Amino acid sequence: MHLPNIKIPQILSEKKTTLIKTGIFSAIIACWGVILFGTFITFN
Amino acid sequence: MDVFLPIAQVFINPVEILLISAIVGVLSGLFGVGGGFLMTPFLIFMGVPPAYAVANEANNILATSVSGSTTHWLKNTLDYKMGLMIVIGGTIGTMGGIFTFTYFKDIGKIDTVISLAYMYILAIIGTLMLVESLGEIDKAKKNIVEKKKLHVHYWIHGLPFRMRFPKSKLYESIFTPIIIGLVVGFIAAIMGIGGAFILVPAMIYIIKMPTKLVPGTSLFVTIFVSVIVTFLHSINYGSIDLMLVLMLVIGSIVGVQVGQKLGEQIDSSGLKALLAILLLIVGIVIAYDTFFAEEILNGTTPISLKDLNFFSKFIKEFSEDMPFFYGLFSILFAVILGIAAAFIRRSISKFREKYFKKPVKQTK
Repeated sequence: MHLPNIKIPQILSEKKTTLIKTGIFSAIIACWGVILFGTFITFN
Repeated sequence: MDVFLPIAQVFINPVEILLISAIVGVLSGLFGVGGGFLMTPFLIFMGVPPAYAVANEANNILATSVSGSTTHWLKNTLDYKMGLMIVIGGTIGTMGGIFTFTYFKDIGKIDTVISLAYMYILAIIGTLMLVESLGEIDKAKKNIVEKKKLHVHYWIHGLPFRMRFPKSKLYESIFTPIIIGLVVGFIAAIMGIGGAFILVPAMIYIIKMPTKLVPGTSLFVTIFVSVIVTFLHSINYGSIDLMLVLMLVIGSIVGVQVGQKLGEQIDSSGLKALLAILLLIVGIVIAYDTFFAEEILNGTTPISLKDLNFFSKFIKEFSEDMPFFYGLFSILFAVILGIAAAFIRRSISKFREKYFKKPVKQTK
């Protein structure tokens, strides 16, 4: 009876952390992607 | 209402400059770093040519570090001996940096080099800060308490010519601070930054100085490095614009005070991720500007000497006729502004203590 009540906030919290981490990694990859791609095409 | 900068030869909005330097000052006061490496790109975005943005931001850093260092000198939280060792390295590094700057200016690539240096440095610092904040999220979630080693020795600690530093209670090779100064000086000369983002971690983790002496000593070193950068930029390229410096100094000194007060009241560690994202965004914008935006062939607006106002005419003639003394004057100008700001701040805090401090109730 109590099991879903405990699990749903836990799952939501885990999803939120995963979302934040994905966002941070995407930002880092986007930044480095633009910089490295730009450097590559400029110096070629 | 736009103001014409007689040396940089561009029109800028003084309200924008004051506002942005104040915002950067708040961030700098809040996090302890970031003044130079955020303000120089913002100046470039506002249309100031990169070579001028670097030189004028170095002069602004001189004023703010004199102000901060005077406060630490009054509190006696400065290690002069260690600071002077870093300054020796810093002087050599700055000379090397100016030499490199001259080389790239001569081949006409200095703007690209400055932009490249900024985007890579901002991307590296932003990435490191974000990865660190990710680690903190994990640690906070799992309640992990990390055990730190008392002494970690790197190759740099095995260097010869050891010397005692009584204030920091250290017995260290003189080459350790000199090498750190060398790196900081080189980067400061090319990018127009104070170098606190390298100096502060290096002092804590490599030299292992007591934390309370680090900010004051770092500012003390920054004074000398920015003096050399300002002077060399001034006599070599005549790129110091006192109109711009005045606006930058006023904005950043006020901003830093607000930032420090905010830092005392709120926990800024949670905001570090936001600063990191801001650094990455600035890095991306510089990259877009350098690689993909259409090139603006002539960003400057030459105006004849007759059309300038008295102050602008004085600056222009002074810098062209006597570059050596103009360099010295720029340094003196920044130093006086910095010391004045420190004493005004001290007077205000004494006034507040005297008239607005709540009396402490004595219990019998």
